Amino acid sequence: MSTAKISLRQVRKEFVVRDEGNGPARRFVALDDATLDVRPGEFLTLVGPSGCGKSTLLDLLGGLTMPTSGQILLDGRPVTGPARDRGVVFQQYALFPWRTALQNIAFGLEIARVRASERTEKARHYLELVGLSAFANRYPHELSGGMKQRVAIARSLAYDPDVLLMDEPFAALDAQTRETLQIELLRIWRATAKTIIFITHGIDEAVVLGQRVAIMTARPGRIGRVVDIPEELNSGSDDVRSLPLFGRLRHEIWTLLREDVWETQNQSVAADPVPDRSRKEPVHG
Amino acid sequence: MDSLETSGLPLIPRRSRPLSRYAGLKPGTTTVLQRWLAGWLRRSWLVLVLLSLWEIAPQAGWIDSTFLPPLSDVLAAGWGLALNGQLYDNVTASLFRMLSGFAIAVVLIIPLGLAIGRYARLGEACNQLIEVLRNTAPLALLPVFILLLGIGEVAKVTMVFYSCAWPLLLNTIAAVKQVDPLLIKSGRTMGATPVQLFTRVILPAASPTIFVGIRLASASAVLVLVASEMVGAKAGLGYMIIYDQYSFLIPQMYFGILAITAIGLLLNYTLEAIEGRATRWKAPQGNV
Ligand SMILES: Nc1ncnc2c1ncn2[C@@H]1O[C@H](COP(=O)(O)OP(=O)(O)OP(=O)(O)O)[C@@H](O)[C@H]1O
Ligand SMILES: [Mg+2]
Repeated sequence: MSTAKISLRQVRKEFVVRDEGNGPARRFVALDDATLDVRPGEFLTLVGPSGCGKSTLLDLLGGLTMPTSGQILLDGRPVTGPARDRGVVFQQYALFPWRTALQNIAFGLEIARVRASERTEKARHYLELVGLSAFANRYPHELSGGMKQRVAIARSLAYDPDVLLMDEPFAALDAQTRETLQIELLRIWRATAKTIIFITHGIDEAVVLGQRVAIMTARPGRIGRVVDIPEELNSGSDDVRSLPLFGRLRHEIWTLLREDVWETQNQSVAADPVPDRSRKEPVHG
Repeated sequence: MDSLETSGLPLIPRRSRPLSRYAGLKPGTTTVLQRWLAGWLRRSWLVLVLLSLWEIAPQAGWIDSTFLPPLSDVLAAGWGLALNGQLYDNVTASLFRMLSGFAIAVVLIIPLGLAIGRYARLGEACNQLIEVLRNTAPLALLPVFILLLGIGEVAKVTMVFYSCAWPLLLNTIAAVKQVDPLLIKSGRTMGATPVQLFTRVILPAASPTIFVGIRLASASAVLVLVASEMVGAKAGLGYMIIYDQYSFLIPQMYFGILAITAIGLLLNYTLEAIEGRATRWKAPQGNV
């Protein structure tokens, strides 16, 4: 157990919700009995139907919220709050609208009190990495959704965290950019030995990127099966997707997800206590 | 927000301004000048019509010129006031009171609003008091201030301060509360300390709404100052207006009103320019 980089032990997260505007408050279990070990340097992908608690889990790992019960260990020590040893890429980008792309990327370095010249140099490097050098001085509202997402990725890479927590970071991208960034992410991962937890809706993406794929089920959110992916599938090359092995694993995960998705869809109208806010862009007053 | 709309200048997106920048690029300078003039006319024709009416209506006898002298008479009276130094004295007296009350409010109240918005406990403690006080119209308190502070400068500056305080306080509190929690989350994941979070995330995110408060405060500063100068003062534009009315110096009175309008416009333009600089990152507003 002590060799795990991240270790979840029977983690449970409840929210207080109201079914009607001012109806009685009740507890809603977003995550139940989640148990999982992530090895140092591992690339783990997490798939699951919408609303099953993936983002909730990521918030917990980031130290932004505390579990209702259970334990989250990082390097054997309980997570007590956020820190720069973990970088988070949020589903809704969460860029600072008053900062340019470059300034956004430099934010973490600024917080870490890195010298200004070094800061700019690093920020430029990561901006180039995500292919946005020409957009250094654009404000977020002047960037497309995919560009914002890339800036967000660069921002969390820039201060070199040990662990990367990514919440559907490629969801807003076109297929080509997505594939480029997938390959780039695999390269960064190999070069830096970061531990990555990567949430996605795409089964293909989960298989192509992950050494293991954890499958979550909904209501209450749990971590179900964890599927091992043979190394040859994580090469990042194009023809991986045409291998029979790829198809088999893809189908296996799809079958595991399917029953659960059906259930979720049939319940969702009646039982979803909070409308799905996760897909919307943040509203800036 | 309503009062912002009606407080004078519309919130014009600053897109139409720097035409002169293209002057070197365009073939003919005259066309640029013409276009600038055309733009200016498009925006100002209603005001021009109103001013012309002001000149024509009394001249033509549509209105009794004793009560509404033509604009040219008013301006001539203003020239007279400028020459004999009265204008200078009254304008500086008013400006001093207005700007000092306004500035003190900005310096003291914005930090207070930031604290109240940030700390729920403090907000809870202050909430009712704020509700009660802000619904007490500043002008209703004028006699109280005069009673306590006399009719000197202190009473007037305090009045202005008091009337500026509420829009500033309420907007600043709202501004802090409205900051997108996701941005705070995002700052926290990058290890920002509470102080860093405050200065680098909450403050910039709140600044547009704080500016709304600043502009509302400036409008109420002018309003309250004029009213309090009318009640008890020996100088200032409000005093000048009421004194001229008593003395039946009607053109002078109208000129005083124009001077106050000019001060209001100037203040608003200045604040708009500062705001435009500070919030340049914002997506242009408006129904495009
Ligand atoms: N702050 C909150 N208060 C109340 N309920 C919440 C809160 N955050 C999340 N939930 C609920 O918890 C459940 C899990 O939400 P979460 O955002 O983790 O889903 P998700 O798996 O990330 O979904 P998606 O794939 O659509 O992003 C949802 O039913 C949601 O309504
Ligand atoms: Mg989510």
